[in-house]
Amino acid sequence: MSILPRRAISTAKSNREPAELPVSLLGKALTVRGIVDTDGELHVHGSVLGRINAGRLVLAVDGYVEGDVLAKDVQIGGRLTGRIFALNVALGSSAEVTGRVFHHTVTVASGARIDGRMPWRPANFFESLEQLPEAQS
Amino acid sequence: MTVFSRNEKMPDSNIIAKTPARERTDQPVAAPPDTTRAYVPASGSSNMSVSQASRVSVLSKALKITGQLESTEDIQIEGEVEGDVRAVLVKVGGSAKVKGTVYGEQVELAGTVDGKIEAKKVVLMSTARMSGDVIHQDITIESGAFIDGHCRPEYGKTDNKTVQPVPKFVTAVRSPSQLE
Repeated sequence: MSILPRRAISTAKSNREPAELPVSLLGKALTVRGIVDTDGELHVHGSVLGRINAGRLVLAVDGYVEGDVLAKDVQIGGRLTGRIFALNVALGSSAEVTGRVFHHTVTVASGARIDGRMPWRPANFFESLEQLPEAQS
Repeated sequence: MTVFSRNEKMPDSNIIAKTPARERTDQPVAAPPDTTRAYVPASGSSNMSVSQASRVSVLSKALKITGQLESTEDIQIEGEVEGDVRAVLVKVGGSAKVKGTVYGEQVELAGTVDGKIEAKKVVLMSTARMSGDVIHQDITIESGAFIDGHCRPEYGKTDNKTVQPVPKFVTAVRSPSQLE
């Protein structure tokens, strides 16, 4: 399926070369409707309505995401409605997350708003994630 | 007194007045040890660059977007976009590919567009590859650029009005002077 290429997060690399990844920046005024797909780092200051696949996602305080996120590392400072599938999840004090957070490691700062479950998964769960499971209610 | 109320600043030295306190407080929290280290020390300085740069969106080489992009600011595309792009200044870099329409005040193309460009000012660099129509008011084409499509000028209403009346007015002025 062309939408979900080369996914399967590689756990092996997770501790190396984090800074090498090319950084993409979606500015405040930018709204993306659709699928955003990158192996590198993605900073979202604007809005994304749709799916995000990234190596690393940084959702800034003013950022907004509506949709599922699949990444190796996820850092949330803004609002997110949808599911997160990530090995490492960090929710900042300004985060507002509605939806499930599938994680291997997670940190939540005091002040973060989370509405949803936060299921732990073994690392190989994320490696084998070629396609996201259907959303359950 | 509540120590950590929601809107209160966390005790974080990275907080800079320019960006809301909320933004920085979330950075040091990040779990993955290495990625965090890469990010946090930079956050003081990159804080500035991010807030500056956040005016302009950059889609890097490795990025692919399937869908629409809409911005009231500038966009620089180095990656791949399948869908329409709407912004003020759109720079399509040498490695970029856009399939769809690019709308903007100004469009600078060094990469590939398969679709349409609609902008007041269009610049096709020497490495540009444009398959489709270009609707413009002002176009620059560097030698080496490839175009397969029409270049159609379309002037805005304001320009149209200022351009057309001038010749009529000139002849009107002239004729009385010639009579005298």
